[in-house]
Amino acid sequence: MDPMEVFKIEVTGQEEFGAKKYRELIMDILQDLGLIRSIGRLYVYIDIKQPVFALYGLLRSGIPPLTVKDVGDVMKVECGYQVKINDEEHMADLLKVLWANYGRERVEQPSRDVVIIASDTPPGELMVTDLEAEFLQDLTDALVRVAPEGFRNRRNEMTGKSFFFIAAEESLTPKLITQIKEKIGEMENA
Amino acid sequence: MLEPVMFTGGVYKHDLVMELVEDLGGYILQKNVTQSEVILLILIPSEDMAILEALIKELRGELVRAPLAGTEVVVVTPTLAIHHLPHSACDVAEYLRRHGAKSNMLGLARGVGREIAQINEYEAALINEHDAAVFIYGNFAECIRKKESLYRNIAVPVVVTGGPEIPKAEMPYSFEYVSSIGRVAHRARKATEIGSLDRIISATGRALDKTRTEISKDPLTTSPPRVMDAVREQVPEVLYSYSPLPIALNLSGVRVKLPFDDYKEAVKAVTFDEGVKLGEIAAILPSRMKDYILVRILPASETGFVF
Repeated sequence: MDPMEVFKIEVTGQEEFGAKKYRELIMDILQDLGLIRSIGRLYVYIDIKQPVFALYGLLRSGIPPLTVKDVGDVMKVECGYQVKINDEEHMADLLKVLWANYGRERVEQPSRDVVIIASDTPPGELMVTDLEAEFLQDLTDALVRVAPEGFRNRRNEMTGKSFFFIAAEESLTPKLITQIKEKIGEMENA
Repeated sequence: MLEPVMFTGGVYKHDLVMELVEDLGGYILQKNVTQSEVILLILIPSEDMAILEALIKELRGELVRAPLAGTEVVVVTPTLAIHHLPHSACDVAEYLRRHGAKSNMLGLARGVGREIAQINEYEAALINEHDAAVFIYGNFAECIRKKESLYRNIAVPVVVTGGPEIPKAEMPYSFEYVSSIGRVAHRARKATEIGSLDRIISATGRALDKTRTEISKDPLTTSPPRVMDAVREQVPEVLYSYSPLPIALNLSGVRVKLPFDDYKEAVKAVTFDEGVKLGEIAAILPSRMKDYILVRILPASETGFVF
């Protein structure tokens, strides 16, 4: 069963096998990069005659940025605030943010998972990582991997809610882009 | 008639196997030691097979036929990018290796796309140094048909793999076409996928048999394993080469992995028991692969004798 609500692939010509295989391929790549849960609907249009490869996807609700209180427990201590991190993966980003906000001399790390800040300002609301930006970066990587390698002329339009990716061997003309968008619109409304 | 086989067993007493093979007039093509296990690629006279089998049974080893032993097969992908590697290409290369072939992987510089795909003279010449080539294509029949231009001028038999079923008649320049591989983003695990790899091996085997038949019509002056043995004995520097296989066997000669300019004379001067020099019965050429030496044994029609 597809984890996505809608996943449609349309390929021109007698290429049923290619359509089936590209479905598997896209699933494999999205799963490898851990993106599959964030995409709600996906439409793929491949025209082998032109040749052109296009993807249009709707993203699931936006991902809020990760703050200090999301990555660890913030406690008031004698000399300021203490952050005990739960997931060490975020330690590097956390330190970077704390250094930028409080200065290196005020941030101390007595053990692997504990940071003490010598300040009266609570760090709880500071943003550690912008997950959405990271997600969009991974998504772009996935799209480039999915598209056939020879299709070097690419265009990627991303908004917070959707993305449209088109790749071709020949130059991408505005006419072609409109034409493909119309095709995908038809798939969406079908 | 020499039979290609692969021995897998413990390191303990494996030298008995090597000694027996040499005593029987066979050849050790390759020896790989992995911790406590050893893998030997062997050519053995078929009438003496029973003696070897008996010894290996005693040593609790395993002996299987390696139909591709003594050959070099190239696996060609459109490029070396993540789109084509590692999955299908590495699976094919590894599978060829398991059946005894020396497999090389070659990513073309500009092999991508349908309209823009190209192969240059250097790449074609490098592929031609092998005994057979496996071209790995994608999932669309239209593209596989169009990309015929990449292997049209290759002189060695080319096995083409791709996703969809395509009648052989539509691909006249390929030796055989093996379907249901195509572009995949996972390793071959399922029985059907492994089955497809088996089909590639048998197609490659048939391609090599075709070359063998052609060679047998005008036999080589001497056999490549014999040249390999002589070079190994008389040019001992080859044993210090960093390559895992310092002398690679082909059906029509060998590739000696030493710098051409420094060692071509030494290789030419290699002398056989009959008093013949290698330079007299073979063409010693610079290989397209790095700076290696390519030895191409001349057929009997050119030298006038066979030994």
